[in-house]
Amino acid sequence: MGTFFEQLVNGLTVGSFYALVALGYSMVYGVMKLINFAHGDLFAFGSYLGYTFLIWGSSWITTHFGVWGGMASAILFAFAGTGIAGILVEKVAYRPVYPAGRLPLVVSALGMSIFLQNGIMAIWGPRFQAYPSETVPSLAFNLFGVHVTILKVFILGLSFLLMFLIYYIVEKTAFGAAVRATALDRETATLLGIDIRKVIFFIFALGPALGGLAGVMNGMYYRSIQFNMGWNYGLKAFTATILGGIGNIPGAMIGGLLLGILETLFAGYFPGGGAWKDVFIFLVLIMVLIWRPNGLIGEKMAEKV
Amino acid sequence: MKNFLGVVLATTLFFVLFTGGAFSADNPIIIGLQAPITGDYAIEGLMAKQCVETAAELINKNGGINGQPIQIVIADDASNPKDSALAAQKLISQKVVAAIASYGSSVTEPAADLYDRSKMVSVGYGCTAVRLTMSKQRPFFFRTCGRDDSQGQFFAKFAVEVMGWKRIALMHDNQTYGKGVAEETRKSLEPYIKEGKAEIVYYDAITPKEKDYSAVITKLRETNPDVWYYTAYYPEAGLLVRQGREAGITIPFVGSNAVPNDDFVKIAGLEYAKETLMTQEPMPQDINTPISQVFLDAYKAKYGDIPSSPWPIYAADGLFALVRAIKNAGSTDTQAIADAMHSMTIAEGVTGKIFFTDRGDRKDIPYAMYVYNDKGKLELYKPAAK
Repeated sequence: MGTFFEQLVNGLTVGSFYALVALGYSMVYGVMKLINFAHGDLFAFGSYLGYTFLIWGSSWITTHFGVWGGMASAILFAFAGTGIAGILVEKVAYRPVYPAGRLPLVVSALGMSIFLQNGIMAIWGPRFQAYPSETVPSLAFNLFGVHVTILKVFILGLSFLLMFLIYYIVEKTAFGAAVRATALDRETATLLGIDIRKVIFFIFALGPALGGLAGVMNGMYYRSIQFNMGWNYGLKAFTATILGGIGNIPGAMIGGLLLGILETLFAGYFPGGGAWKDVFIFLVLIMVLIWRPNGLIGEKMAEKV
Repeated sequence: MKNFLGVVLATTLFFVLFTGGAFSADNPIIIGLQAPITGDYAIEGLMAKQCVETAAELINKNGGINGQPIQIVIADDASNPKDSALAAQKLISQKVVAAIASYGSSVTEPAADLYDRSKMVSVGYGCTAVRLTMSKQRPFFFRTCGRDDSQGQFFAKFAVEVMGWKRIALMHDNQTYGKGVAEETRKSLEPYIKEGKAEIVYYDAITPKEKDYSAVITKLRETNPDVWYYTAYYPEAGLLVRQGREAGITIPFVGSNAVPNDDFVKIAGLEYAKETLMTQEPMPQDINTPISQVFLDAYKAKYGDIPSSPWPIYAADGLFALVRAIKNAGSTDTQAIADAMHSMTIAEGVTGKIFFTDRGDRKDIPYAMYVYNDKGKLELYKPAAK
């Protein structure tokens, strides 16, 4: 039983990374109807930003703020940095192409992804980088026979907090209503006096910023980062978005967590599961799409006629 | 006049195109190096480049090949089979005399086919899958490194007879090399299993290029093994060691010969990397051959430290073997070089004398057990007396 619970916690940790990245995907898709392929690479970019911040400022930060302060400031730095990068990406790669229709937009997104990935490689080099160990607290304890590290708890807690915060903003505030209105119908939203540029600005700052934040936490948790790490997470998060229902905030959260838990349990309990994990995951995705084409909790999208 | 010029041009072109096989004093002999300069195993590519260039400098200092200098051109295969084929085509179209290629069995395979088809000698330096030489005969393919089956045999014998480990966990990454070593290890363990001296309690693959292996690690821990043998590459090995130790696995971790290098220590963190064991070919510093000291001194003078893994040394040995073969053949005709490679007896490399079997495998490669010390450096492992 203890092992099962531990595998569940493992799955939740993996899943919360997927969910955080998936949130950004879903937000952008909901408003822009654009699959932002560059999102995974913005995640990697955030990871590298946090790494650079910790390397350059590590001694100064740890003496002034302590280990937790250092972590918090690195997370904030990467959050802000990736947010700015997201806005720039939108300005450079998406806004000029937007009137041309969806297909050029997707191609532009793919191009942006390649650009970012190679940019990261050119700046930080192709080799693995490791987050400095002295900047990340490492503390393990046993909770009812389950092996848990304090970083795991921190990451799980922060992810859930962020997910609920985003959910709250989008579902309960006036600005969130504007975002939802834009997602439903851009033109009508404009007619109602909603400043669409503001909404897009907000989406492209917050979506990538969340990805960047997931990137730093990923670097702190797994320690090693490399320039092409965004691809794998991008793919899995995209799968999670589809699984949960694209363009839907709780859908992205549930899809990400479910994906993480499913693949962990499969790898943990199925004989030969480590090797067959991804086959299983994508089989599940196909099954879900057959029964529920709009994802697990995706509502039916009204097509504009 | 116009006509005359045409004839001159045509004749020159003819000579340039069709007499490329002969020696000429001014032109260097060009040898290609295909290596993962970028991609996941970039550190191996970088060190291979440095080693081959150091070897080339040494050879040129000693008069090159019969007075003709050698020159190295590099093609990046980015550690993936697709780019590997492109890199091979690039070197073939540049008409290099022979190629040293490459690191990783799955990556080397398509390139080896291409070189073989265009009758160009290629020497692998970090590709140990048995099937590279045994699944079909490639008359132009050679390798200076060992083969997975000998490593599997070494581990099985060491684990059971020297260490007395009984419950053995094997983990690989489902790629050519990793699965190869794991299968060979399992095969070599079979006689011991029949005698009741060993037991495979865990045998599974992980998905490479991921970050979280906690699921398989928890599963492995529950099987309660005495030793954990991981037979694949260093990026995942570093993550596995780190996550394994954090999940409370304290048994010895043994990595196969693509695990040890500085990036493994960096990813795992020194606190977890120390005391991990490695089955591999002898490290550069433990090799005592006439060339090794000269070579390592030259390398150290240039790059500050000796290579942190054994593979780049085999790339340098690929060059030493090729140079000897070209000297023996007395020409740069590819068939003559291939024949000379097969019949070679006195080639001195950094890792000792180089001979090849008729399938292109190198003869007599020793394996040893290494351990990471407190400083993150490899040293020969000496089991505590029991």
